[in-house]
Amino acid sequence: MSVGSRLTAATGIDRYFESPAQRREALLGIALILPSVLLISAVILYPIVYNVYLSFTTVPLNPNQAPTWVGLQNYLELVTSQRFWGAFRTTMVFTVGSTVFSTLAGLAVALLFDREFRGRRLARGLVLLPHVTPIIAVAFVWQFMLSPLWGAIPNMLAEWGLYSSQTGLLDQRSTALPTVVAFGAWRNFPFAFLLFVARLQAIPESMYEAARIDGAGAVAQFKDITLPELKGTIAIVVLLRFIWEFNAFAQVWLLTRRVVTLPIFAYQTAFANFEQGLGAAISLLLFIIQAMFVVGFITLFGEDKL
Amino acid sequence: MIGTIVAQASASLRVLKTGYRNDSWLGRLGFYAALVLTMVVALFPFYVMLVTSLSPDDAIYSSDPSLLPEAVTLSHYTVLFGSETFAFTSYFLNSAIVASVTASFSLVVGVIGAYSFTRLTFPGNGFVRRGVVVVYMLSSITVIVPLFQVIATLGLVDTRLSLFITYTVSTLPLTLYMLWNYFESLPVEIEEAAMLDGYSRLETIFQIVVPLSLPVLVAAFLFAFKIAWNEYIFASVFLKSQAKLTLPIGIEQMNANFQNVWGQVMAASFLTTLPIIIMFLYLEQYMVEGLTAGGVEG
Repeated sequence: MSVGSRLTAATGIDRYFESPAQRREALLGIALILPSVLLISAVILYPIVYNVYLSFTTVPLNPNQAPTWVGLQNYLELVTSQRFWGAFRTTMVFTVGSTVFSTLAGLAVALLFDREFRGRRLARGLVLLPHVTPIIAVAFVWQFMLSPLWGAIPNMLAEWGLYSSQTGLLDQRSTALPTVVAFGAWRNFPFAFLLFVARLQAIPESMYEAARIDGAGAVAQFKDITLPELKGTIAIVVLLRFIWEFNAFAQVWLLTRRVVTLPIFAYQTAFANFEQGLGAAISLLLFIIQAMFVVGFITLFGEDKL
Repeated sequence: MIGTIVAQASASLRVLKTGYRNDSWLGRLGFYAALVLTMVVALFPFYVMLVTSLSPDDAIYSSDPSLLPEAVTLSHYTVLFGSETFAFTSYFLNSAIVASVTASFSLVVGVIGAYSFTRLTFPGNGFVRRGVVVVYMLSSITVIVPLFQVIATLGLVDTRLSLFITYTVSTLPLTLYMLWNYFESLPVEIEEAAMLDGYSRLETIFQIVVPLSLPVLVAAFLFAFKIAWNEYIFASVFLKSQAKLTLPIGIEQMNANFQNVWGQVMAASFLTTLPIIIMFLYLEQYMVEGLTAGGVEG
């Protein structure tokens, strides 16, 4: 057997080219998917590869000059910089906090909606609003609501005796991070809610009836039926939220400049300080962390799960 | 916020104690209390947005802010459209253009791509499909630095074309995903019958499959529109001149360049939100698919 025919057999390529009709089908299939593949390659895959190169260089301001190779310098600068590790810690706190709270709130609201009541459809639609409206609009309302001078929230908190500071919640580091976490939870709980509600509806009522006949109380029903049935969905929600919160940019950046997460650190480095090589190094680290989570996601759930 | 979440969770636990999916009047009371609390937490910011946009300045900047509007005025809206200071109309039109063009590109490329995935066998089909799923999960921040270099090298900085291209790609995975899910549910017999009648593949796609998929095509278009309408980071890096700014960047500049323009900023925010809410009335039924697949920030 020649190398060529062995290769053909191994790749199974001949399957597609048995008859002229099948060959036409295969070529048409490739032609139709080609625009998508080219666009994604040009805007996502090529930049990711190019980013690896950029991260080992210093990029001059003039786009016509070539970047200069500096080896590992950018990475050394990062691992020895306190700002980087500070941003890393902030990112972890923000990501974990926002993921946990949005998932818990989403689960609680989904359980609340798991029954018939008048106006359920409308209420369900309204609950989704925090997640679907433009980030710019909701970020600015939160800024306004939280502003120490005119905001409704500090005013309310002051009346209850919980808050007396003249500095805004978003203006000092110690309160800005919890506020950003709260905003993340508010913005994203509808996402968790929606997935949980869909899954809850798929649990047959008969399972609950059987449990009630066996004398199971509501807590037991929740623990033994609802929770096990939701396990997969909980894992998906947590993992997806974790991936997206880790890379969240506008959600934090538009609310306050006091919370510096890694994506914001990368953005500032590349586009405010114009140290694009260093920015590329941060992006690459972000990409590697993200890729690990994506791979984890796929091995856990398979690519058909989404 | 955390307090309300805890209150909410304990309220729903109270419902649980008295009977899950099936409860007494006490449980019902707890249920409605929790429901009202949830709606208040979810919607309060939108209420503030609307009320502030309609309040005169002295009510907004009073030392004793009130939650109920005392007087109603449309002056913030007329300022947005009438004055030279804010280029709101231009931001709005730019966003509308960018979002429509993006959604149209994405739909055309998506229809043929998704059809190819579902109905045509070719080497690499499964591989490319998996690749699309992975691309969903990546976010803008990981490509923004090198992408800016590419855009700069191509001389596309401060052009709408830079947004058309990058937004089309950010929305493409979602469009492909929604459409291939739907195409798979279409009975293949209809297409076979059409081809027996002498239609070519391409004619089948555009004359049989597209008309059959109209509702989902509209949904995919609107989701792509929404992503482009909400997008912040690409626009903030690629655009430079005032005349080309989209709404998110424009509103941010309004807020940054002027002191105490909260009334106008809230009016602008409300007008930015409005199209999304209107679309959403149609999109609600597609929400589960659209949101889980929308890895793109927005």
